[in-house]
Amino acid sequence: MSNRFMSKHSQKFTCQIYFFLYLIFFLCLLSPLNVSASGPAASKINNPSNDLWISVRHNTESGKVTSQVKSVDSTVLINPQADRWTRFRMTQLINYGLFILSVVAVVIMLFYLFRGRIKLEEGLSGIMVHRFTDYERILHWMLAIVFIFLAGTGLILLFGRPLLIPVLGHEFFSVLASASKEGHNLFGPIFFVSLLLMLFRFVRRNIYAKGDLTWLLKGGGLIGKSHVTGGFFNMGEKTWYWIVILTGLAISVSGLVLVLPNFGQGRVIMELSHVVHGIAAIILVSVSFGHIYLATKGTEGTLESMKTGYVDIKWAEEHHDRWAKECHDNDRLISAEDYAKLQGRVVLDQNVSASPLMEETK
Amino acid sequence: MARMKFYCDAERCIECNACVTACKNENEVPWGVNRRRVVTINDGVPGERSLSVACMHCSDAPCATVCPVDCFYTTDDGVVLHDKDICIGCGYCFYACPFGAPQFPEDGAFASRGKMDKCTFCAGGPEEDNSADEYQKYGSNRLAEGKLPLCAEMCSTKSLLAGDANVVADIFRKRVVKRGASVLNKGVSYQNASLRASSVGKDK
Repeated sequence: MSNRFMSKHSQKFTCQIYFFLYLIFFLCLLSPLNVSASGPAASKINNPSNDLWISVRHNTESGKVTSQVKSVDSTVLINPQADRWTRFRMTQLINYGLFILSVVAVVIMLFYLFRGRIKLEEGLSGIMVHRFTDYERILHWMLAIVFIFLAGTGLILLFGRPLLIPVLGHEFFSVLASASKEGHNLFGPIFFVSLLLMLFRFVRRNIYAKGDLTWLLKGGGLIGKSHVTGGFFNMGEKTWYWIVILTGLAISVSGLVLVLPNFGQGRVIMELSHVVHGIAAIILVSVSFGHIYLATKGTEGTLESMKTGYVDIKWAEEHHDRWAKECHDNDRLISAEDYAKLQGRVVLDQNVSASPLMEETK
Repeated sequence: MARMKFYCDAERCIECNACVTACKNENEVPWGVNRRRVVTINDGVPGERSLSVACMHCSDAPCATVCPVDCFYTTDDGVVLHDKDICIGCGYCFYACPFGAPQFPEDGAFASRGKMDKCTFCAGGPEEDNSADEYQKYGSNRLAEGKLPLCAEMCSTKSLLAGDANVVADIFRKRVVKRGASVLNKGVSYQNASLRASSVGKDK
């Protein structure tokens, strides 16, 4: 009885062993190493003619390759990277790019629906403090306008064929795409210049400092209601700055490689540049959605800083407590009346007193 | 309906570049543009091979796949053509093509790209056949006249073949069979050819 049981048990055991052996065997078959391992090297027929065309196929010819046509890459018979680039653009950049941008847009919309506008807890006080100089604001808006234009034209070129051609038709879309291409090429270098000016102007205030980690751990105030600490720029703004600078530089350099074909760069360099350009641009555009939302609709009082250069002291206290304290200490607060004068809104109130003054100056 | 193909026989091409010249002359291509080029591999050493290359008129053309304005089309004869009125000169077809067929005339400052130009298999463009407009944009339309591309038609060694894929393949098959026989018969016509490869290696 027990013997029978044992044999049954051992049968089952051997079955299991065979199963595992088979499994290992199949795994070996599946392994890519197998291709070189199983092919017996001794039986390989030496075939220089075949080898020649295989090397041409992979662009690895060892001998001298010449052509009477003297242009860049004219001696490259087959560029094996071309197919990889095609697949990257058609199956990854367009699909994932559209997916990422849509997801970011939807997330921001949902955030707005559920959280709403982040209002100042104590409301606006009317007491202002100077935040950005004219130069900084002009620089910001120059970069912003050029960026929005480049992002728009770039997205038209990237997604136009699947999204716009069915709506606009080939002829009209061609005109739009041509204008987009020319505009993109023309304004690209301006973006680069603005970006460099931005880099030099703001780099000192955007170096990560003590307290930034706390900001990150508290989720930047987006989660919950508690206030988070921040200097002139808080951690989120600093990160946005570095995303702009790093992806912006990658986009600018790769863009210049693409737009100026007269430095003799080959197709492979241009394909790589396009990959860098596309990935960096998708990152920058999707993060810019967040920046644009938070700076306009998302938080109360933020847009003022880039419109007038002044912010409400309550806004500073709630979002940039350490900087607000600095302002208090250095006595940089501007009263509502002084601020109104600065903004040229005094004319209505002081019309009477202003006119004799004007006559006097005459 | 045919399926048009080029075939360049590397055992016959003598790098005379007449196909390049003929193409340039027949189609009046813009300055700096060569729709066809001859490339020589292992130049100057035994086993040197030359190939004449232009657009391959791919069945599933990557240039047509990546074109952001969708300006490519394939004719009933299997010739890949493009519409220069739609083309914006972005250069994506140039990145996508493994053979370097799409060419760009310089247009404006900083060598910016004009509208793409490439081999049309001497089949013109979307305009009316053999119209002045078509000739100015795409060159001659020999196919509409019942002729084959000039590069292949005037090839002195009949290395470059153009025409229906079945016919071209048939001609090439016959050549290969004859060559194989000559090699087996200790022919001397081509060193380093596949069947003699191992013996050449041993001689050294």
